Amino acid sequence: MKLLNNKMLLIVLILFSSYGIIASCTHKNEPVPAHAPTGVIINHGNHIHHPGTTAGDSTQWKFDQIHSNVTWSTAFNGVGAPLTGRFNQFGLATLTPAVMTTYATTGQPLRDSSWVFYENAPANTHFSGYVQINTSNTGAPGRDQGCYITTMGTAKAVAGTQDLSATNVAFIKTTSVAFDPAANDYIVTFNFTWQGKLGAPITESLTGKLTYVPEQVVAGTSPAYSEMGLELAFQFNCRDFGITATDIGSTITVQVNANFSNK
Amino acid sequence: MDNSFFAYMQQLELMAFFSGYPLIYSLVLYIAGTLPEKNNFKTRLVSLLPYAYALIGTLYLGDLLRNMYPDYSIKSIIVTIQQQWLIIWGLLSLLFWIPAISKRIVLSLIHSLVFLFFLGKDLFLQLFTPSANSDIVRNDMKIYGNSLLLNLAAFAFILLMSFLFTSRKSRQMA
Repeated sequence: MKLLNNKMLLIVLILFSSYGIIASCTHKNEPVPAHAPTGVIINHGNHIHHPGTTAGDSTQWKFDQIHSNVTWSTAFNGVGAPLTGRFNQFGLATLTPAVMTTYATTGQPLRDSSWVFYENAPANTHFSGYVQINTSNTGAPGRDQGCYITTMGTAKAVAGTQDLSATNVAFIKTTSVAFDPAANDYIVTFNFTWQGKLGAPITESLTGKLTYVPEQVVAGTSPAYSEMGLELAFQFNCRDFGITATDIGSTITVQVNANFSNK
Repeated sequence: MDNSFFAYMQQLELMAFFSGYPLIYSLVLYIAGTLPEKNNFKTRLVSLLPYAYALIGTLYLGDLLRNMYPDYSIKSIIVTIQQQWLIIWGLLSLLFWIPAISKRIVLSLIHSLVFLFFLGKDLFLQLFTPSANSDIVRNDMKIYGNSLLLNLAAFAFILLMSFLFTSRKSRQMA
């Protein structure tokens, strides 16, 4: 009788444990994981942005130069960590020989209106832009107004003037813009013109990646206005432009972050 | 976070030490039942069960002291211990070191069934409450599995010690 009781206890405990194992092995509380995406999700909206200067016209997008920047970086001595800097003066205007001169102003010398952006029709997108070489700012004035000036073949900036002369500007002008098949971006082909330390400016065809930051209303603004952004990244070989200094690498990486508003 | 979480953790600790004993108990009794009636090993096998249980209780006491280290003041003990009655019940297993109590082996089973009750309660809720969270049962079963291993190891250790002690004693007598 005693053995029978123990057998019963054993059976009950084994059944109890078995049920516990089965109950703990069910996956009913675990959500079925979603299928992994098989490709890049590309979703281009239909935003179209045109430039303008009329304040208060929300259909016109104004280049916000103060809150934009053009930065460059290159490996220090060609092998080290990046040496970086930014240009204090730049703009979104097409440079022709007629306008490439010196301007006595502290503001933008030319209207920043040489651009159009179509989010879903990149063939219609185009832009031009420039930087003033002698306004590079690495945070070390001794370098920026010293060896950098001679290395780049230009002259020191003069206070109160904007120097758009051929020896002091590098500029780009797009030749084609297309969808990036691998991402939600655009592939931009453009002409890059710079004299560097050569006798005359030369033009190279380069390719870069353009990213669009879609327009959004800026929260808490009255009257409400929107912001949008364009980011362009590209590289070029400074040796092609006669820059021989070996304390900088041959490859220069340029990043353009441009902000626009419609206020 | 309130103290219910720590109380639950202490309940899980107690389950980890004691809930596996009933199955080991009934397995040993079943094996002993298959052995011949006049077998010395059979008697020893069964009689060692409460000592294995007392060893589990001792390990639990050690774990409790380790958790309270280095502050063993009354105030610290009151703050640390959330399930005082359950812990006192668990520590009562130390009484099975006393031969007079360990003679009644069924008491060790009754003592350990209290801890199996919590596992049974969770399983019952899982079975009859559609919205029950199976993670609790899954966790309980992991603890139950570890408890089985711990109790089996404790019993094997006591059995080994018993054989070593007996063989040494018989050698000394010879």
